[in-house]
Amino acid sequence: MHETSSNAAAGTLLGTSRRRRRFWGRALQGAVPYGLILPVLVVIGVILGYPLYWLVKLSTQRYGLFELIRHQGVGVGLDNYSSVLHDGVFWRTLLRTVVFTAVNVTLTMVIGMLLALLLVRVSMFVRILLSSGLVLVWSMPVVVAVQVWYWMTNFENGVVNYVLSHLGIGDFYQHDWYATTFSQLSIVTLLIVWGALPFVVITLYAALAQVPPDLVEAAEVDGARGWRIFVDITLPILRPILLILTSLSIIWDFGVFTQPYLLIGQSKITSGNYLMSIYLFEEGYFKSDFGRGAAISILMLLMVAVLSVAYVRKMVRIGEAP
Amino acid sequence: MKRRSIVALSLVVVLVAAVMAATSSGATQKATASSITVWLQVDAQSGWPDLVAAANKQFQSDHPGVTVNVQYQTWGTHLQKFDTTLAGGGGPDVIEMGNTEMTKYMAAGAFAALNKSSFDNSSNWLKGLAASGAFGGKTYGVPYYAGSRVVTYRSDLYKAAGIKKLPATTAEYAADAKKLLAKNPKKGFSPVYIAGTDWYVAMGFVFDYGGGIAQQISGKWKGLLNSPKSIAGLTAYKNFYLATSRASKTTDETHPNPYDVYAQGQAASIVGPSWFTCCVGKQYTASTAQFVMPGHVKGQAMPGFLGGSDLAVPITSPNQALASDWIKDFTSTSGEKGLQAKGNIPNATNLLGSSVNERAAARSWFVPTAKHWVDVENGNILRNMLAQILTGKLSIQQAATSAGDNIASVLNQS
Repeated sequence: MHETSSNAAAGTLLGTSRRRRRFWGRALQGAVPYGLILPVLVVIGVILGYPLYWLVKLSTQRYGLFELIRHQGVGVGLDNYSSVLHDGVFWRTLLRTVVFTAVNVTLTMVIGMLLALLLVRVSMFVRILLSSGLVLVWSMPVVVAVQVWYWMTNFENGVVNYVLSHLGIGDFYQHDWYATTFSQLSIVTLLIVWGALPFVVITLYAALAQVPPDLVEAAEVDGARGWRIFVDITLPILRPILLILTSLSIIWDFGVFTQPYLLIGQSKITSGNYLMSIYLFEEGYFKSDFGRGAAISILMLLMVAVLSVAYVRKMVRIGEAP
Repeated sequence: MKRRSIVALSLVVVLVAAVMAATSSGATQKATASSITVWLQVDAQSGWPDLVAAANKQFQSDHPGVTVNVQYQTWGTHLQKFDTTLAGGGGPDVIEMGNTEMTKYMAAGAFAALNKSSFDNSSNWLKGLAASGAFGGKTYGVPYYAGSRVVTYRSDLYKAAGIKKLPATTAEYAADAKKLLAKNPKKGFSPVYIAGTDWYVAMGFVFDYGGGIAQQISGKWKGLLNSPKSIAGLTAYKNFYLATSRASKTTDETHPNPYDVYAQGQAASIVGPSWFTCCVGKQYTASTAQFVMPGHVKGQAMPGFLGGSDLAVPITSPNQALASDWIKDFTSTSGEKGLQAKGNIPNATNLLGSSVNERAAARSWFVPTAKHWVDVENGNILRNMLAQILTGKLSIQQAATSAGDNIASVLNQS
């Protein structure tokens, strides 16, 4: 009895220490993932968090040229935000940017899909030719591409006017492609879609390889034809990829700056053809109103964050899928 | 392309980086300089690189071991670059500023005060230019050169078209243009090449008819573009442009450069700074001459924009004394005479001659001297108005009214 009780006591003693060890072991094990992502968190914190902190701080200050030279802003609370939100130009720019983004993304995705489907069907030689073309577009620096497009659409001696005139489409001699906002943004759209296609096409082409051929064959046996097969088999399989590509394109096109700014040209930028990023640049930099510029960029950041929700959710779901 | 994704973000980051760097200021710069950085506009690079080299040589013989790093800037972007360096350091020790850009920066305390009497001919500086570099009784900008706008033309084409006498009025000039056009029927040929949104030329017409851009009445700015006189000027500009120029109605005077159009044989004359002769092309150099743009009243010149540049020393420069010495060398009497020889107006009245350029300066106009004027320029309000007028998108009255209101609201900002 005594013995057993002492044994039992020893047992419990042993048990607690073992349990304690197991507890710490588990805690340690539980901490490992956090430890592993710690470096990432630190890097993100330094690279994104710190500037973001300054950006938020800046957006609540009056910070013009005078303050810039003294390196000292004046706190004004939310004045910058209310001034931006009460600016008619902001709302018109936002609407223009939303329409612009919708057109760009739709064109990118539709043409991208068509080209990817084409890529599957053409002969090896044409496929190599087409993919090399796409990769060349992909590898061209944006600024160089803008310059090339600028020359192609040049007023005095652009090749576009020359070709269109010689094709008999009409007299395009000295046609001004930058005369109206619509025309300006259309050229910018062409440039952006042209530059965005390679990524979309190559990604979709890779995804198309995942469509099981036996599934298509079975559908064909059942009498399904081109469009039917595309809608009922290809599209559902491509859906996750399409969603991700669309979300990414929306985020890119919403904040696009280089192409419109350089192609339209500084001397033609007015509040009548702003896109969001150009609005930010003009208000913040040209008017040396850095506090207001910061407020605009925070607002843009929030909008892009909202747009990214769909993308992030999809990514998480793909991660969870078996 | 993928890079686009980062553009918005990088803008943000750049903005922030500029501010972050502000905290570390210029303290890291060396106390004893082995080099100074000078920001000049590209005009000097294409027009008078030899004068820059001469100033550098003089400077280096006075300050052995100090190198001069000249960086050429463009008018469209130099201010944003300058703003960034004001916050982050690493900026120039000498900067060329347009005379319309000075006020905003002087008001913000961006420049170091200079000792006026240490510069050549400073007691005779051109009034307009000296005023653009003075603020609160101190000198912040040293006049560099001025330029009026003149007509550069092909005398061979004029002769071939049977034009014996240079035009004395705008109407005569337009009539000559008609003759030139008949004699040179090739596509895209401009008897007078004027870029559609070249507001320097367009405002000349406005001032010629007694109009103006904006006026300050008891402390408040009022737009003048929709006054009957300004409208008359804008109408005259539109008619003259449509009759004489095949340039794009929406382009500015640097896309393309008028002298490039001229050098390609596509223009019989161009209106612009007198140094345009620099780049008219070898085959036309001999036949190129200049005259003063005539106004609509016989015997009166078209008022030309009296543009000019000042040289200033940013407050952030750790080498202010050296910077001031370099300016002294660059704007010395011999330097200014060199600029004059290139077709510019020198910075002092005692150096003035009787060139076409200097005669054109007799009747000139200037932008409203307001702190926010540079925002009007950068916002392209006038260019946009001209494009609307020339393309017929808006009537002259509508375009002028909207631009006038816009200008007043920008100038009246606190």
